Amino acid sequence: MTALRAALGRLVGGSSVEIEGAPPAEMSVAPDSPEQIARLLDFASEHALTVLPWGSGLHQGFGGRVDPDVIISTSRLAGVIEWNPDDLTVVAGSGTTLGALDDEIAPRRQSAILPEAMLDATVGGVVAAGMSGWRRLRYGPTRDRLLQVELVTGDGRLVTGGARVVKNVTGYDVPRLIAGSFGSLGIVTAVCLKLWPLPDVTATVTTDDPERALAVSYRPQAVLETRDGVSVFLGGPAPEVEAQAAVLGGDVSTGHSWPDEPVGECAVRFRVAPVDVASVLTRLTTGHFVGAHGVGEVIAAIDSGEIAGHREWVEARGGSVVIERAPGAVYESVDPWGTAPGTADLQRRIKTAFDPLRVLVPGRLPGGV
Amino acid sequence: MVAPADSLVSELASIVGADAVKAGDLDRYLYGGDAGVAHGDVSVVVLPKTVRQVAAIVRSAIAHGVAIVPRGAGTGLAGGTVPEGPAILLVTTRMNQIDIDARNQTAWVGPGVINLDLTNHVASLGLHFAPDPSSQAACTIGGNVANNSGGPHCLAEGSTVNHILAVEFVTAQGEIVVAGSGAPDPPGLDVRGVMVGSEGTLGVITRILVKLLPNPPAIRTLLMAFPEVGGAAGTVSDVIASGVVPAALEMMDRPLIRAVENFVHADLPVDAAAVLLAEVAGHEAGVDAEADLIGRLAVDNGAFQVRRAADSDERELLWKARKSAFGAIAQIAPDYYLHDTVIPRTKLVEVLDQIYEIASRRNLLVLNTIHAGDGNLHPKFAFDASDPEVVAQVKAAATEIVEVSIAAGGMLSGEHGIGLEKRDLMHLVFSPVDLDAQARLREAFDPDGVMNPLKVLPEGSRCFDFGRPIPEGAWV
Repeated sequence: MTALRAALGRLVGGSSVEIEGAPPAEMSVAPDSPEQIARLLDFASEHALTVLPWGSGLHQGFGGRVDPDVIISTSRLAGVIEWNPDDLTVVAGSGTTLGALDDEIAPRRQSAILPEAMLDATVGGVVAAGMSGWRRLRYGPTRDRLLQVELVTGDGRLVTGGARVVKNVTGYDVPRLIAGSFGSLGIVTAVCLKLWPLPDVTATVTTDDPERALAVSYRPQAVLETRDGVSVFLGGPAPEVEAQAAVLGGDVSTGHSWPDEPVGECAVRFRVAPVDVASVLTRLTTGHFVGAHGVGEVIAAIDSGEIAGHREWVEARGGSVVIERAPGAVYESVDPWGTAPGTADLQRRIKTAFDPLRVLVPGRLPGGV
Repeated sequence: MVAPADSLVSELASIVGADAVKAGDLDRYLYGGDAGVAHGDVSVVVLPKTVRQVAAIVRSAIAHGVAIVPRGAGTGLAGGTVPEGPAILLVTTRMNQIDIDARNQTAWVGPGVINLDLTNHVASLGLHFAPDPSSQAACTIGGNVANNSGGPHCLAEGSTVNHILAVEFVTAQGEIVVAGSGAPDPPGLDVRGVMVGSEGTLGVITRILVKLLPNPPAIRTLLMAFPEVGGAAGTVSDVIASGVVPAALEMMDRPLIRAVENFVHADLPVDAAAVLLAEVAGHEAGVDAEADLIGRLAVDNGAFQVRRAADSDERELLWKARKSAFGAIAQIAPDYYLHDTVIPRTKLVEVLDQIYEIASRRNLLVLNTIHAGDGNLHPKFAFDASDPEVVAQVKAAATEIVEVSIAAGGMLSGEHGIGLEKRDLMHLVFSPVDLDAQARLREAFDPDGVMNPLKVLPEGSRCFDFGRPIPEGAWV
């Protein structure tokens, strides 16, 4: 395969790069432009190569395993391309880390409300994985802030979907389709995100009754439960935060201290109707977890042998249990997504529309799409 | 108008009952238009009540080789429900069931539920459906989903798509599927997100799971009057940059203020060049400080009046004024042409100046209502359509407005959709490759062009194969 390596090297004008934590591949490359990615994917389509896009690797545990010929890192597509603080929008290269984005915009007290405590993740990876942070309760999911995507489709076309304006219904919502597509339709090269002003004051209040907390507080940023208890995360003008904290009545601390991701070899995300969060938590007898009340998501470290039982219970209630990370062998016996959605055939056709030769992460999506 | 085949009419009648099929010339004419200017030929109108009936209608359409055009209340403005070619007009207004899940703050609703009816229905629970287009007393949720509708209050809460958790729809193959879930992030591609705003071209939506929001405990509504349009626009920029996200931030210019005042008598400042209507909503302890800040920014930008609605009656009157723009214009001229473009919020003054210049050069009366907070322009030309020269000027001005909006970094539509009206302008904002990708996406849903054909994407959008342009003269 030396010839393949030489050919790929010529396309990106460089040699293979080391990517920590990546699976073995014939070659790993870090192109410095969307056009280079287009040439690579065109080449991959021509030669039926399997391609794995790579940001920080933080979300690579989701979905079906991929045995790549080529890994394409977005690390050289990093940096803020256009920031309009007065319009509350930002355009960033997909390889920009959340930390680097924050370094730029946080001093003006603006935020794209991306996952908290995930500073090494890339914006492209977070978008591709459809990841939202804990403040989703107040601000909605990341996909609702995704105004525009620039991507390279599986067959090497440079496609832009959406626009750099905060309200838009001009053609199909390609950005939302890309959010959560896990690289199966194209490699994201840049995104435009809608920003929010950060609240004047933030505070965290402990409580022992999450249901009451949701009922008595007006649109808190998050209500999270761990083995240490339940915290209500407030944000807003100082008088409002004080008044809300007084009504909640627990211990108040200044600022937000977000819980750590659950530690453990195997972690899953329970996604359920918001009222079912409490029931999910009662099923978790061991291991760390973070439960997002009012949202319907619980991240938990569990034994992989428990997945099937949880899944039966959750899927019967219209939810899902998806693997976030697990030892490689688990994926051979447990489907990473669970029961395939009713639209699986349609999803397969959508995949073909963007990646006709299935070079991008084949089998990563539910139902082997 | 070509009469529909008897066999199709009787087949549809056997699916939905004869009273739910309208095949007479008058009905077909009346259903041939929307609230905009386009008009087309409807083969037959059918009003199903259930998803099974919809699936059977779609299969029947496939068998007869006619298209399906889904339609709600017909309040659309871009011709999205106006057929081009033989089509069954599938009207969803009888699909108006509401099933509330109060604990999860969601509801499954039929596509024919009227927007305002849903909010009224859940008011006793302290909840509301956030999208509130000006037509909310008449438009359907299904139509809102099809056009990803907005409204003044989508500034803080986002357009319709942010409030749709799942959709059940009948595919172009006549199958019933559900995309999305009451649980967050269901596995797989976000088909729900693509269905929203797809203008009936990807399937017939038969049920919608909507998110309901808690009513804010406190609301403050401000009316600010400015001697110059620039002061109002400057206030908008300053408010957005200040860190306050108002629930709504609307602008009206002098011609519109006068027309509206004549119509609703809300004691509007008729001497102002522009007024801003701002609303902050939230916790009782937070809203006054935000309202004060907005008022101060207005004064800094030259406002000569800042009026705070004293009670909910005054608030409703001010909103009635804002949402009565259409009725008000009817006093001025028999016809109007309402535009919808969106621009970056920082470009308001610049683009408004150009719009006034276009109108004055073409000797047209333009009245502006603007969802200023999100840069969504709605210039309205009031005119008399019996004069063909004036109609030509209005059309030319409309194209120019699109061009200046795009030049400012804007887009063709903020909330009305593309439909027929702007279909042939899509190439102004998307490359051939972008349009091809959208055409491929559509093909994945509807390879045979059953669903609302000839809308949204211009002819020839599907023009590439495997990333390589098809050679000129190739037979495809």
